[in-house]
Amino acid sequence: MTCGGLKQIAISLVLAGALFGSGCGYNDLQGLDEDTKAAWSEVINQYQRRADLIPNLVATVKGYAAHERETLEGVVNARSKATGIQVTPDMLKNPAAFEEFQKAQAGLTSALGRLIAIAEQYPNLKADQNFRDLQSQLEGTENRITVARKRYIDRVAEYNKMVRYFPTNLTAQFLLHMEEKPNFTVADEKAVAKPPEVKF
Amino acid sequence: MEAKKNRSSGGLFFVVAVTFVWAFASFAHALDVPQLTGRVMDLAHVLPASAVESLSARLAAHEAATSNQVAVLIVPSLEGDALEEFSHRVATTWKLGQKGTDNGVLLLVAIQERKVRIEVGYGLEGTLTDARSARIIRNDIVPRFRAGDVTGGVASGIDAIVRTIEGTYQASERPIPREDTDHLGQIMTAIMVGLMLGFILMNVNRLLGPIAGTGLSLLLAPWLVPALIAGGITLLLLLFLSSAGISGRRSMRGGMDDWMWYSSRGGGWGGGTFGGMGGGFSGGGGSFGGGGASGSW
Repeated sequence: MTCGGLKQIAISLVLAGALFGSGCGYNDLQGLDEDTKAAWSEVINQYQRRADLIPNLVATVKGYAAHERETLEGVVNARSKATGIQVTPDMLKNPAAFEEFQKAQAGLTSALGRLIAIAEQYPNLKADQNFRDLQSQLEGTENRITVARKRYIDRVAEYNKMVRYFPTNLTAQFLLHMEEKPNFTVADEKAVAKPPEVKF
Repeated sequence: MEAKKNRSSGGLFFVVAVTFVWAFASFAHALDVPQLTGRVMDLAHVLPASAVESLSARLAAHEAATSNQVAVLIVPSLEGDALEEFSHRVATTWKLGQKGTDNGVLLLVAIQERKVRIEVGYGLEGTLTDARSARIIRNDIVPRFRAGDVTGGVASGIDAIVRTIEGTYQASERPIPREDTDHLGQIMTAIMVGLMLGFILMNVNRLLGPIAGTGLSLLLAPWLVPALIAGGITLLLLLFLSSAGISGRRSMRGGMDDWMWYSSRGGGWGGGTFGGMGGGFSGGGGSFGGGGASGSW
C-alpha cells in the first residue's frame, strides 16, 4: 500500500508538472517553431511561383522585343542564380545562406522590374493578351511574396522574442537547443517594395 | 540598453528595434479598417441606396447558394496607404470567406486615388486567378469608371466575379465547425485537475478518490456535454488506475500511456460552435494570401 501510494504521488507530481509547467514555454516554443517553418515554406513557395512564371514571360517579351537582349538575359541569369540556391530548412539556422538567398531574390525582383519597364515602350507587347495575363500573374505573385514575407517577419519576431526572453530562453537553450532565426531586414524589404529605377 | 555588452544583446536590441519600427510604421499611417456592417460598404457615398440594396441582395443570395463571401468596400481616399496593403488588411480583418475553404473576395475602390483592387481568398485563387481578376478590372470595371459610371462599374465587376466563382463551392460545405481551442483546453484542465485530486484522495480511500475527482471534473468543465465527457474520462481513468494500483502488477508506465490515449481521444470530441450569420453580416473566418489584381482608371 505504501508503495502504491508513492506511485500515485509520483503520478500526481507528473500531472502537476504537466499542468503548471506550461510556464516554461516548451509547447509555445515548439508551436512557434512550426509556425515559422510554415511561414518560411510559404515564402519559398511564392518565390518558386514567380520563378515558374519567368520562362513564359521572357518568351512573350522576346516575341516583340528580341533586341532587348541585355534585359532579357539579365532576367534569365537572375532567375538561374535565384533558383540555383538550394533551399533547405537548415537555411533558417544559417544567417549567411539566408542572406545570400535574399540577395538573389532581390536581384531577380529588380531584373523583372526592368523587363516590365521595357514592355511599356512596346505598344504591341502591352496590348498582347498573353503578356497582360502574365503581367497580372507576376504582379499578383509579387504581392503574395510581400504578404508571405510579412507573415514570416511577424512569426520570427515572435519566435525570437520567446527564444531570448526569460524564462523561456532556458527551455529554448538547454532543452530544445533552439536558436534565434534570421529575419528579412527592413532595408531589404524597402528595396524590394520600391520599384526599380528606370533610365532611358 | 546602449551599452551593448555582447553580440547577443545587440541582436536583441535589433530585433526589438525592428519590431518597434514595424509596429510604429503600421500604426503611424495606417488607414483604419472600417467596421464590417454589410456586404456593400459605400463609405464614399457614391452608390445610390437602391444599388447598395440590390447588390447586397445579390451577394447574400450568392453566399446562400455557394458559401462564397463577396464584399464591396468603397473608400473616399486611401490617405496615403498602399492599395494592396490596405486591401489585404481589410480582407484579413473582415475574414471574408468560410474557415477552411477561404472563399472570400473583396472588391475595393478608392475614389480619390482612382484605384481598384480585387482581393481573392486562398480558396478561390484557382478559379478567380490573378489574370482573370485583372481582366475583370480591365474589361468590366475600368471602362465604366472612366465614363463616370461608378455604380455600373461596381455592378458589372461584381457580376463578373460572381459568375467566375460560381460552382467552385457548394453551400452544403458551409457550416464548418469552428475549432474552439478554449473549450478543449478547459476540458483538458478539468480532466487533469480532477485526476490530481482523485490520485491524492485515492491514498485516503479507494472509492473517494474517483468519486471526488470525477465530481471536480464535472464542475470545472464548461456546459453539459463537455462536462460529461470530462467527468467520464476522469472516472474511467481513476477507476483504471485505482485497480492497477491495488493489484500492484500494472506498471505506472502502462497507466500513463492509457491516460495519454484517453486524453487525446477526449481532445477529438471538443464541441464547437457553428459560424452562422445573425442579422448583420460577418466574415466566416477565411484567409487571404495576397492573390488578386489591382488597376486604376
